[in-house]
Amino acid sequence: MTKRFFDIGKTGLSRRTALKGIAAGAGLMAAPGFVRYSQAQSSAPIKIGFQAHRTGIGAAYGRWYEKTTNAAVKLINDAGGINGRPVEIIVEDDGTDPKRGAEVVAKFASQHKTDIVFGTLFSHVVVGSAPTAGELKIPYYVVSEGYHVASGKLNRWVFQPGITDVRSQVTSVAPWVAANLGKKVTMIYPDYAFGYDHRDYFAPAIKAQGGEVVAQIPIPPTESSFTKYLPQIPADTEVLYHVMVGPGVLTFVKELGEFYGSNKPQLFGFIDSLEAVDINSPGLEFLDGSHFWEGSPRYAQANDSEAQKAYRAAVGIDDNGASTTDAKDVSTAAHMFGCWETLYVIKKAMEDSGYKGPEDRAKLVEATEALTKFKEGPEHPQGDKKFNGKLHQVFGHQNISKVEGGKLNVVHRTSIEDGLYEPEADYTTQPL
Amino acid sequence: MRGTNTTRAIRRSAATVLAACSATAWQTSPAFAHASERGHVLLLPTGHYIAGAALAVAASFLVLAILPPERLVSFWRTRFPLGSIPNLRLPVSLLSFAAFAALILAGFIGSRDPLSNPLPLTIWTLLWVGLTLAQGLVGNLWARLNPWYGPYRLVRRALGSKADGDSPLRLPAWVGYWPAFILFLAFAWFELIDPAPDDPARLAIAAGTYWLFSFVAMLAFGFERWSRQGEFLSAFSAMIGRFGIVDGKRDGARLRLAVCWPGAKLNDVEPLPPSGALFLLSTLASVSFDGFAKTFVWLGLNGINPLELPGRSALIAINSVGLVAVFVALAAFGLFAVVAGQRLVRSTVPLSNAAGLLVWSIVPIALAYHFSHYLTALLVNGQYALVALSDPFALGWNLFGTAHMPVEAGIAMGSESAWLIWNLQAAAIVAGHVLAVLVAHLLAWRLHPSPASASLSQLPLTVLMIGYTVFGLWLLSTATAG
Repeated sequence: MTKRFFDIGKTGLSRRTALKGIAAGAGLMAAPGFVRYSQAQSSAPIKIGFQAHRTGIGAAYGRWYEKTTNAAVKLINDAGGINGRPVEIIVEDDGTDPKRGAEVVAKFASQHKTDIVFGTLFSHVVVGSAPTAGELKIPYYVVSEGYHVASGKLNRWVFQPGITDVRSQVTSVAPWVAANLGKKVTMIYPDYAFGYDHRDYFAPAIKAQGGEVVAQIPIPPTESSFTKYLPQIPADTEVLYHVMVGPGVLTFVKELGEFYGSNKPQLFGFIDSLEAVDINSPGLEFLDGSHFWEGSPRYAQANDSEAQKAYRAAVGIDDNGASTTDAKDVSTAAHMFGCWETLYVIKKAMEDSGYKGPEDRAKLVEATEALTKFKEGPEHPQGDKKFNGKLHQVFGHQNISKVEGGKLNVVHRTSIEDGLYEPEADYTTQPL
Repeated sequence: MRGTNTTRAIRRSAATVLAACSATAWQTSPAFAHASERGHVLLLPTGHYIAGAALAVAASFLVLAILPPERLVSFWRTRFPLGSIPNLRLPVSLLSFAAFAALILAGFIGSRDPLSNPLPLTIWTLLWVGLTLAQGLVGNLWARLNPWYGPYRLVRRALGSKADGDSPLRLPAWVGYWPAFILFLAFAWFELIDPAPDDPARLAIAAGTYWLFSFVAMLAFGFERWSRQGEFLSAFSAMIGRFGIVDGKRDGARLRLAVCWPGAKLNDVEPLPPSGALFLLSTLASVSFDGFAKTFVWLGLNGINPLELPGRSALIAINSVGLVAVFVALAAFGLFAVVAGQRLVRSTVPLSNAAGLLVWSIVPIALAYHFSHYLTALLVNGQYALVALSDPFALGWNLFGTAHMPVEAGIAMGSESAWLIWNLQAAAIVAGHVLAVLVAHLLAWRLHPSPASASLSQLPLTVLMIGYTVFGLWLLSTATAG
């Protein structure tokens, strides 16, 4: 069988050729029939430092972030690059380790001399790396979903323009949950920062819809059996809001099923719990009929836009959201689109600022801050978005999907306005 | 100027990183603690497997206790001649050295991505996992594949000396295996605890330095001597290779090969000195700790949230202590079991002889742990290695036609794979321990002439092996981070 690691349209792209950088760029220029990087005074590549979770706890996500990044870079280069220059991706592994993350950012700035740093997923790595990006004045575009950027606690060099933050996601689903599933909500969540985000942002959001959180059940992160916590769920619960994560998730769902039997409340969860896990895995049967938040839908939908179809084909995921070359390799579809969209935001900002090299980094920051909205299309296949330059954070639509027949079908798409909240920061007041 | 800024920035941000990691009051954290394949294993009836495995190991002890030892030993010694092959040690080692040098170069100038650069994939996956398993199955391949023998012979020849015995320095007898032991601990620390053992340049420096250090030591003390007692890979390979089913004997310029039963070559071993016994135990301890360090139990004990693992940098201190603690515990339990066995039969055999001989019985356990713990890495990273080796310097080459081979990570994903891998792991752990009981029995018959006292002396060690079977399967079935 001669499967390719990537299946990017008909042209084909192996991850190695995508990473070739200079060699690939030069090759493209020399090859007849390819787009020439004719506008540029210099054909030297734009160097993007990709801070990747290649090892450590984030490796499963890092793999798909890398695939998505390579697919987008290939298209960008095929279409002439950025400002007429090819894009080169330089990968450094941060080991999903905050301290190493900071070292990697410094390495990009001083050793590889990349133009920007991009692609970080895990929040603690972002938080650990951001100060170094600020010190070295290198733009740092993260794809992390955390509220850390919009909270104002990072610095002017850090942006999250390709994926919405968890506060916005949690806030935006509350109106639909209250209107369709019920108003009496019990929240069950892991007892640490991730769980607290949901606890702190969902409770006021559901209250604003006339609902109430009747119980909050934090689960210690080291638990791997949950039966003793389930009796704490009040009997009058209409909606069970669950955001369990880690290896215990399947056990949690199975034990929940055993606890309730057929007489269960409505279930609402975040697909983060089961990202990259086959929804038809044994133990997950109880989820049938329940609802999940998804950033971008894992399964192909009947009304997918042409842009969404092209994006899925380019990244190489099939209708079930798994690799087109390996059906068991389920993607991190709900989040990885953020890499794609972020790269196109970087492209736009570099073009707007006439970016030429590291000396223009401050101009690039200002040009990114000046962006206000992104139109749905090939560059933003997940949907249109609004960008808040003061917060350095993008806002977009969220999907609510129902588990039906072993698939996740989108039943509601929130408006951008559903996910807006009172801003707490203005990075533009910080000096560059 | 930039360098100064960078250093300052790193220094300043180090404190910020620590503060940032602890200040969770405002920090928001996407989940991303992957449900992972261990999630599927948690749903399997692993408790039944563990109970069954413990019973199987106990049953093997009972069966051996009633079997007549002479017949078993003579059966175990059966060999099936295979013929002979040319002894190509010198050219093979020179080729190996050339490949090693190319890999070190790739570590410096190839891709920075540890899954695209062939150096980390070759060292950690093909060599440490793949070759160790091949050694255990086949025999001491490393004696031929090592990258020192060829260059050593060439340099010695250039210096005008031929015999290995006339090395300029002699290793005193008391040195024993201590150099190998210390160097292995350094290796294990680098593999399991260093923040970035996969970083290609960092690994190139470490591996290159180790090669040079070993080469100088071989020139000083003689190749055979340093390979046996100092170069830990050679020392470990020679021990593990004794479990393999191919036996090679030099016959002039050729190698005479024979097939034997697994572990049969352990029948002729001499008792290891304390340093050798500790060295062998440390190899099992390192793999055991590798598994243990990821468990919710270990992380919970240390107040680490396994769903938001802080990364290797934050775990250096606790894991250093843990690695040593597992080793000390294993050594203490092992020694206690041997002492108890000796007391049970009122043996007059010196303890060092008994312990030094019986420690060989952990070879099959070490192999089983190696297989079980690194099977997934071998299946997935082995594919990455094949891709990377075709284009070692990221220049667009396709040396072996595998540069564009699809890497199918799905081979280790999903409930079906989890079931299959768990069963393979469980089978390996049980087989390893049953074989360990067998080896220990056969060695015990050398220590105790009466079959009854030989069996009785093995009772405490068998209890320990049952315990280690349970521990091994628990490591592979309990909740882990990542």
